[in-house]
Amino acid sequence: MTATTAQNYTLVITGAPYSSQAPQTALLFAKAAVAAGHTVDRVFLYGDGVHLASSLSAPPSDETHWTDQWGNFLSDNDIPGVACIASALRRGLIDESEQKRYELPASNLREPFIIAGLGEWVEGTMASSRVLYFHAGD
Amino acid sequence: MSTLIVIDQPPYGAWAGREALDMAFSLAAFDQPVALLFTGAGVNWLRKSQETMGIEQKSVEKNLSAAPVFGVEAIYADATACALYGLVPDSMVAGVAIAESSAEVIRQHSHTAFAG
Repeated sequence: MTATTAQNYTLVITGAPYSSQAPQTALLFAKAAVAAGHTVDRVFLYGDGVHLASSLSAPPSDETHWTDQWGNFLSDNDIPGVACIASALRRGLIDESEQKRYELPASNLREPFIIAGLGEWVEGTMASSRVLYFHAGD
Repeated sequence: MSTLIVIDQPPYGAWAGREALDMAFSLAAFDQPVALLFTGAGVNWLRKSQETMGIEQKSVEKNLSAAPVFGVEAIYADATACALYGLVPDSMVAGVAIAESSAEVIRQHSHTAFAG
């Protein structure tokens, strides 16, 4: 395989923003990969990584808003962003249908992220030529 | 394609191991070949007769016992880590293969994943 072969990546982020660099490193990788002609099949948020999809994060204005950065990148490039439902429900990351199901007072999933099962990750491992994991590193 | 899910975190005091186990079960549920490798503090998952009432957590031993039912092909334990934590076959749950070389186990799989 030569360096110029186009890859199709699934990216898995397990580190949360503002407590790890995982979402930032993953975003820089994704931008570089797309710029180099590769594709990103999907981005899967797992474990603490689901915090990246919260529409309620409000960092100080002089800091990078990683949720918005990621959300815009996914929308601009038409890449699916999926938060694991088991990880999300445990950590208070809720879409409207889960809000109704569990009769919760609010939902907070930022578009275009969706909530779905680990089957999305399994599908990614089957559909992609590479699966990369971005962990908190602790 | 076969995937090796590596658990290197202790069963209690960290959550990533439980999420790694869910990844393994999920692959198996979709008929994808998967095996588990416990290494480092992760070998403590394999200790027999875990009693968790005092910490108000579910025992991981029960979760792990579902592995063959889901179709997880093998459970490996790193020999060096077992020695470090004083684990011998008699003190471990059934069905675990002791791996003298984790590197060799990793080589036998096309993908390797950690939960965190």
